[in-house]
Amino acid sequence: MRTSFTSRLRAAARPRTAALTAAAVASMTLAACGGGSGSSGDPGTLRFGLSAEPVTLTTGVWQGSATNFVLTLIHRGLMTLDESGELVPGLAASVDTPDPTTYVFTLHEGLTFSDGSPLTATNVKNSLEYYANPDNGSTLIAGLQDIASITADSDTQVTITLEAPSNAFLEFLAVPTAAIVPDASLNADTPNIVGAGPFEIEEQNEGVGMTLAKFDGFYDADEVELDEIDVSYYADGDARANALVSGDVDMIDYVTWENFDRVGGTDGVELAAQPGPFQYVQFNVTDGPFADPLVREAVAYAINRDNALTAAFQSNGEPLEGVVMPEDATLEGVGDQLWTYDPDRAQELLAEAGYPDGFSATLLATSQYTFLQDTALSVQQDLQAIGIDVTLDAPDWSGRLEKGAAGDYDLAVSGDVGIVTNPTYLLSFVQGPDNFNRSFGYANEEIAAALTDGLRATDDAARVAAYEEAFDLFATDVPFASIDTRDQAWAYSDDVEGFTNLPGFHTFFSGYTLVNTSIER
Amino acid sequence: MTTYVLRRIGVGVGLVLLVLTLIFLALHLVPGDPAMLLLSQGDGGSATPEAVARVRAQLGLDQPLLTQYWQFLSGALTGDLGESFRNGQAVSEAIGERLPRTLELVGLATLIAVVVGVPWGALAARKGGWFDSVTSVLTSIGVALPVFVFGSVLILVFSLELGLLPAGGFAEWGDDPNRHAQVLILPAIALAVGFASTVARMTRSAVLEMLHQDWVRTARSLGLSRRAVFRKYVLRNSLTPVVTTVGIGVGTLLGSTVLVEKVFNYPGLSSLLVEAVTARDYPVVQGVVITIAVLFVSINIIVDVLYGVLDPRVRR
Repeated sequence: MRTSFTSRLRAAARPRTAALTAAAVASMTLAACGGGSGSSGDPGTLRFGLSAEPVTLTTGVWQGSATNFVLTLIHRGLMTLDESGELVPGLAASVDTPDPTTYVFTLHEGLTFSDGSPLTATNVKNSLEYYANPDNGSTLIAGLQDIASITADSDTQVTITLEAPSNAFLEFLAVPTAAIVPDASLNADTPNIVGAGPFEIEEQNEGVGMTLAKFDGFYDADEVELDEIDVSYYADGDARANALVSGDVDMIDYVTWENFDRVGGTDGVELAAQPGPFQYVQFNVTDGPFADPLVREAVAYAINRDNALTAAFQSNGEPLEGVVMPEDATLEGVGDQLWTYDPDRAQELLAEAGYPDGFSATLLATSQYTFLQDTALSVQQDLQAIGIDVTLDAPDWSGRLEKGAAGDYDLAVSGDVGIVTNPTYLLSFVQGPDNFNRSFGYANEEIAAALTDGLRATDDAARVAAYEEAFDLFATDVPFASIDTRDQAWAYSDDVEGFTNLPGFHTFFSGYTLVNTSIER
Repeated sequence: MTTYVLRRIGVGVGLVLLVLTLIFLALHLVPGDPAMLLLSQGDGGSATPEAVARVRAQLGLDQPLLTQYWQFLSGALTGDLGESFRNGQAVSEAIGERLPRTLELVGLATLIAVVVGVPWGALAARKGGWFDSVTSVLTSIGVALPVFVFGSVLILVFSLELGLLPAGGFAEWGDDPNRHAQVLILPAIALAVGFASTVARMTRSAVLEMLHQDWVRTARSLGLSRRAVFRKYVLRNSLTPVVTTVGIGVGTLLGSTVLVEKVFNYPGLSSLLVEAVTARDYPVVQGVVITIAVLFVSINIIVDVLYGVLDPRVRR
């Protein structure tokens, strides 16, 4: 009886043991078949880990860096940026400027969209006129509102006349959202997925990724070495870094600062960082202490920028004591030193403004972006030191936007970039309707006029003089108090060659350089 | 019985309608404008008021709240959950893609938890001594271990150090079955550890209780071997509470995969809900919550009906 039970038990146990062994072997086999070490990458295919899933593509409108990345791949405008960040013709083979208000663009011959339809001068005219119409809500309006007329001279030639000179006009045409698209895409309801860029969308898998294939109709298709870009969405910064370090992907955007050392220190991985967006304190100037420029100036002098940089970005960036200016030898030293860290001066200014004992204020930040919250904590400490009792308000990003747009704050911490590097990006901080990331209720027509003079200037001396005047006013009226610029990093495997992280605000347009990128496995 | 079942279904439908209304109101009471969010994704996002107004109109957010509620309610009742604000994908399609992924992950985690937890707990109860003590310590750690910590450790060891398995991501079965299986292993293990520990502890205590029953002594006195009694009678009778624990655990896991999905970048239903809440993507939030509510209410109805079948007194 006992033997019989034992035998049956053993017999019953055998298949289970076998099953468990089989499961373990299967797991190990699965692990061995490809694993996580980049062995599944095909030659000519770049596996890219993107920091967010792009929203429905709408050209003309700024929809964030992930969407911009896709736009740089599937679309092109008349102008683009080369691998060193220089402004160069894109769909235009050449651009002539017979006078400061006239631009004659000659398109490449035989241009087509990815749906096979021809791209002509009429498409250029229609696209730019659409973006220049304020009713269509384009972010490009700031740069295109100067357009007086657009004429399609022939199928391959377009003449654009401006109402006044603009030394930022060509740069606006290189913004990824200034894409030339088929007429059928020029409405609010059609996703702008048909373009004339180096790649076309082959497959979209919502929530997972998208596959982009080389577009042979691209004007410079012979230079494009990648056959395919396999994009996977990695919203979490750590997961994205892990994917690169483990070899699951070849390249990622937006390396979070806490991962700089880990990613940069990994053998076979390159970290490319460039100073990018800037952080600043904005004010509600409608009433209360911050309506007084002296108080705003006191805040600008109270900020310990090194501390803020360390707290939020592990010192990966630069303190910003003025405004971000383009890399232009003519403008070197202009606007870069407006305020220093000087708490004594800050307290003097507060006393002069009638607040020797300080006051209380709320500081709006967001809990969703840790770096903004950490920056706010640092600013809070600095302001406490000069007697301003600051209460932090950190809703999620959506709440932050709503409160910012409604002026429901005294002070707020923000981060931003210009869509162009030309100082004209500062105009939106001193004129126009209120929005969530500029000082609420603030306007200064004098600064706006000086910045506009700089934009219109046709010689270097006039340009420098205009900006010097603008920033003298800036220093004392303080539309915002700068804090720092943060490094923005892309990272990639050593197998990837030819990619460049473009400097300054253009870091978000670095996808343009994937035209010159190759991968050797 | 028919009246009882109909009454249960009626209550279920009422509950779903209540959830529909509550979720609609909650979403619209929480601060945040989806249109502004769509146009303000991080830096450089100072959209013009015209752009925001245009997107609001496009999304139907310029309509009075009652109109929006009626559109939402009538859509939901006819099975049309709308389209995502972010990417225009039909919500039912998004849920249809994400729900099976989460079910697959939870299914595998449950399988691991049961295959490991039941024998482990049974063995601990039967062997006692040091093995039982070690089991108690390990299962305590397993229950207490935060899933994101254990998940990160798994990634560190198996992906970053050994390079055996992907650090995360997803692949469709149809595109790459091998990778599809690979990306499931680590998140399933991460999810299963706590669950297996709970199952093991429950099995252990249930088995210990059974081992002290009179009928066990009777079976032994009749000449049955210790192993035979254990396998044929003790273990089988101990499994009732374990099955209940597993059932409850599966339900809990369905709603708690969000951390694992985040750590392993796994595009399941929980991460869809979190992303949608963050982006104020109303149709997606509403659709996912409705799905979860219907699932839970359905399970409750089935359980209530089963109680009714098992115990006629409940039907009254």
